[in-house]
Amino acid sequence: MEALGINLPFLLVQIVNLLIVYTVVAKWIVGPVGSMLDKRRETIAQGMEDARVASEARANAEEEAAKIKAEAQAEASKIVSEATERAQSAGKDVKTAAEAEAAKAKEKALADVEAERNQMLGDLRGQVAALAIAGAQKLVGEALDEKRQHALLSDFFAGVKAGKVVVLDGDFKGDAAEVTSALPLTDAEQNTVKKDVLAKAGAQAVTFRVDPSILGGLVIKVGDKVVDGSVAGKLEGLRQNMR
Amino acid sequence: MDLAAATILGKLIGAGLAMIGAIGAGAGIGIVTSGAVQAMGRNPDAAGNIQTNMILGIAFAEAVAIYCLVVALLILFVF
Amino acid sequence: MSEQKPKTRTWARWVVLAAILLGAFLFTGFFGIGLNIKPIMPEVFLPGEALSNTPIFGIEGFFITNTFWGMVGADLVVFLLAFGVYRGVKSGKMVLTGISGAVEALLEALQNMTEGTAGKWTKIIFPWFATITLLVLAANWLGLLPGVETIGLLHEGHGEYAVREMNFLGMEFSTIWDDSAEMAADAHGEEAVHAGEEEYHGAAIVPFFRPVSTDLNFTFALALVAVVMVQVIGFRALGWGYLTKFWNTKHFFDKPIFGFIDFGVGLLELVSEISKILSFAFRLFGNLFAGAVLIFVMGSLVPFFVPAMFYMLELFVGMIQAIVFGMLTMTFMAQATQSHGDHDEAHA
Repeated sequence: MEALGINLPFLLVQIVNLLIVYTVVAKWIVGPVGSMLDKRRETIAQGMEDARVASEARANAEEEAAKIKAEAQAEASKIVSEATERAQSAGKDVKTAAEAEAAKAKEKALADVEAERNQMLGDLRGQVAALAIAGAQKLVGEALDEKRQHALLSDFFAGVKAGKVVVLDGDFKGDAAEVTSALPLTDAEQNTVKKDVLAKAGAQAVTFRVDPSILGGLVIKVGDKVVDGSVAGKLEGLRQNMR
Repeated sequence: MDLAAATILGKLIGAGLAMIGAIGAGAGIGIVTSGAVQAMGRNPDAAGNIQTNMILGIAFAEAVAIYCLVVALLILFVF
Repeated sequence: MSEQKPKTRTWARWVVLAAILLGAFLFTGFFGIGLNIKPIMPEVFLPGEALSNTPIFGIEGFFITNTFWGMVGADLVVFLLAFGVYRGVKSGKMVLTGISGAVEALLEALQNMTEGTAGKWTKIIFPWFATITLLVLAANWLGLLPGVETIGLLHEGHGEYAVREMNFLGMEFSTIWDDSAEMAADAHGEEAVHAGEEEYHGAAIVPFFRPVSTDLNFTFALALVAVVMVQVIGFRALGWGYLTKFWNTKHFFDKPIFGFIDFGVGLLELVSEISKILSFAFRLFGNLFAGAVLIFVMGSLVPFFVPAMFYMLELFVGMIQAIVFGMLTMTFMAQATQSHGDHDEAHA
C-alpha cells in the first residue's frame, strides 16, 4: 500500500475534504441552482398554462362566433322559408281566385248554353205540338178541335191541369224546390207551378230545369224528397207492373 | 545477467503480460456500445435509459481491465 | 462586439502558429540556428511526492505532498464556482451567465439524467452526483495547466540529469537537462510544458502541483464515500430490508435450489460492493495517471505540436471520467433505493 502511495492520514484528509466539498456544493450550488431550475420550470409551466387558457378562450370565442353565425343562418333561412311560404300562399290565393273566376265563367257559360237550349226547346215545343196534332188528326180525324188539343199537349208536357200541379200531393217541407220538365214551361205555367209548390210545400224558392229525357210531366224535388210525375217515370212504373 | 537486472526485466515483462487482459475489456466495451447504439437507433425514445444501462455495462466490462491495471501497477511498483 | 470577434480569432491563430514555430525552433534546431535542447524522458512516480521531510502533526509517513496542493487547488476551483453560482442566483437572474451559466447547464443535464434514473430520490442522490462530477472535473482539468507537474523543488540526489543554474528575466532558478549531449541551455515556462515533466538524477524536480486524481488516496476516498453512501441511501430507502440484498434467505427453505442460488447471489453482491470500491478508485486513477504519463512520453518523443493533440484527448478523458464516476455513483445509489423483488422473480 505504501508503494501505491496510499496512507491512512492522507486518505482521511481526502475523505474529510470530500465531505466539505459535498456540503459546499449541496448548499451553494445544487440548492440555489435546483431552486432556480424549479422556478424556471414553474415559469415555463405557468407560461404554458397561460397559453393554454388563452387558446381555450380563443376556442370558446370561436365557438361562440360559430353559434352566433349558426343562429343568424337559421334566422335567415327561416325568413327565407317564411317568405317562400307566404309567396306560395299568395300564389295559391291567386290561383284559387283564378280558379273561382274560371269556375264562375264556366258556370255562366253553362247557364248561357242551358238558357239557349231551353230557348231552342221552347221553340221546338210549338213545332212538336203541331206535328203531334197533325199526326193525331191524321189518326183520329178531326175529333178534337185545335184548342182542346193544345190543352192536352200542354197538360202532357207541363203536368199542369186546370191551373193545378197534378202530381203534387202528400206533404212536403223544404226550403228550396226544383221543378224539372221535359220542355221549358211557359211563364203562365211556371207561375202556376210556383204558386202551387210554394203553397203546398212551404218552399221559398223554386227553380226550373229542363230535361227532355223525362219525356213529359214534372219531377218536383222539395228538400230531400222527389215526386216523380214524369212520363218516363210513369212508363217505368208501367214496365215494372207489366213484368 | 545479475539479479537486479533480471528482476527489472521480469517486472516489465510481467506488467506487459498483465495488461493483455485489457483486450477482453476493450472487445466487451465495443460490443456493449455497438448494441446500445443500435438499440438507440431503433428506439430513440428510450435513449436515456439505454445510455444509463450502457454506461453500467461498460463500467463492469472495464472493471476487468482495471484489475489488470492494478496487477500491472502492483508488479511494477510494489513487488 | 460582432466586429471584434473575428479579429480576436485571427490574432489567436497567429499566436498558435508562432508558438508551434517557436517550439520547433527551440527543440529541434529546425532552422539550423535552433537551441537544440533534447527533450527529457521523465521518471514516473506513482505516489504523490512529499514536498518536505517533516511529518505533519508528527504522524509517521504523513507529509505534505504535491497532490495535497492539487486537492487544495481543485477545492478552490469548486468553491469559486459555488460562490459565483450562489451570487448569480441571489441576484435574482433567471439565467446565469458566464462560467456559472456553464455550471448551471451542466447541472441541469445531470439533474435530468438523475431524474430519469432515480425518480423521487433525486433530491438525495443528485448532490452527490454533482459534487463528485464537479470536484473530479476540477481536479482533472487542473492537471492540464502549464506549470503543473513541471515547476517544483529540486531534489538533488536522485535522477540522472544534471542541474544548471539559470537566469531568466532577472530571476534565479535552476533546471535540469540532459548533459549527455551538448547544448545551450534555456528554460522558460513554455518549453517546460512542451517537454513534459522533468524530474531526475543528479537532481529531480518534485513539482509543487500534481492533479489530485493521480493520487490513489483521493480516488479511494471518493470511492469509499460513494460506496458507503450507496449503502446509506439503500438503508434509508428500504430500511433493514436492504440487508436481504446481501443475506437472502427468503426462498432458502421453500425452494431449496433457487433459494440457495439466491443466497449465493446475495453473498456475491457483498463481494461486488467491495470490488466497486476498487474499480471506482482504479478507474479514475488509471485513466488520469495513464493520461499524465502519456503526455510525458509524447512530450519527450515529439516535443512540439503533437502533445497539443494529446492535451485535447486528456481534456476529453478528464471530462468523461468525471461524468462516468458521478453517473456510476448515481446509478448504484438509484439501484440501492429499489427493492430487489424483481430480482427474485427472475429466479422464481
